[in-house]
Amino acid sequence: MKKGMTIIACAFFLLPFMLLSVHSQEDMESVDRSVFDNPQRPAAVFKHEAHNETAGIEECNECHHVYEDGKLVEDESSEDQRCADCHGPEDQGNQPSLVKAFHVNCKGCHKKQKKGPIMCGECHVR
Amino acid sequence: MHDLYQFVSGPLAWVAFILFVGGSLYRMIAMLVEVKKKEPFIFTYMSLKYSLRSIVHWMTPFATYNWRRKPVLTVVTFAFHICLFVSPIFLLAHVTLWDESWDISWWTLPDGVADVMTLIVIAGCVFFLLRRLTQPEVQFVTFPSDYFILAIVAAPFVTGFLAYHQWFGYPMVMVLHVLAGEVMLVAIPFTRLSHMIYSPFTRAYMGSEFGVIRKSKDF
Repeated sequence: MKKGMTIIACAFFLLPFMLLSVHSQEDMESVDRSVFDNPQRPAAVFKHEAHNETAGIEECNECHHVYEDGKLVEDESSEDQRCADCHGPEDQGNQPSLVKAFHVNCKGCHKKQKKGPIMCGECHVR
Repeated sequence: MHDLYQFVSGPLAWVAFILFVGGSLYRMIAMLVEVKKKEPFIFTYMSLKYSLRSIVHWMTPFATYNWRRKPVLTVVTFAFHICLFVSPIFLLAHVTLWDESWDISWWTLPDGVADVMTLIVIAGCVFFLLRRLTQPEVQFVTFPSDYFILAIVAAPFVTGFLAYHQWFGYPMVMVLHVLAGEVMLVAIPFTRLSHMIYSPFTRAYMGSEFGVIRKSKDF
């Protein structure tokens, strides 16, 4: 009985966090810029769900990629990590800095698809 | 707008940079060849010491008689030229583009500082325009094309300012900004803006002639 109560109590406490993590992507309106020390531009507008619907993206690893030894690992994805876990403030060898990673990942695809924002102020909207 | 931006920031940027670098080299070499043909005697008294003495004096505010004689013009022209060079070269947005295309990057200005420097360049253009319109000694050496050249210089900074603040239709202003920058780059070797290329040579020649031949200062 006591064990059951503990599990219920734990679930009760964890529930908001679980909801939060589900909601954070659905409600995501812009790229989190709190990881930057001194951000110069407004946070890039990015509505996660709306974007993927419009762009017809089904696989997480279209954006949330995994690289090992400089090579893209197919069929693996990294949506459980933060971009900043790998991409630091500066380039490291072939691994682009966080700013560059965002820019290249988003803009690179937009250029290839000939759709979506590619100018500074189209994402960094004032 | 997607294709238009890709075009002005891609192939057209290549054309602009090739014409700017190639044109500048051509003008410099053509000028030296002409001196060699018409006045080769000049090369006999060119002096590194007096060249540098002249260049350093004229690059220092109030270090020459003429800079002291016109203090307002001196302050404006120094502020204008410093901001004209520093703000586009060290602008975060520009360096970001160099970094993404060529993997090269360098120190950048805070956006707020670059914003003020842009306004200084625009104010400088207005000052030079009023000066051309009102000062008889400037009117005397002003051609109609000089107003056009002034507009070519002002355009990248006005559009850059508007693009940064995202006023008056962002995507179009952004495309115009890239175009305006390219027009200015191409105009440098082929208009009076070529003083950017020629001025060190002009000063070196003046410094050498005054120092070696006339035994006097040119500042």
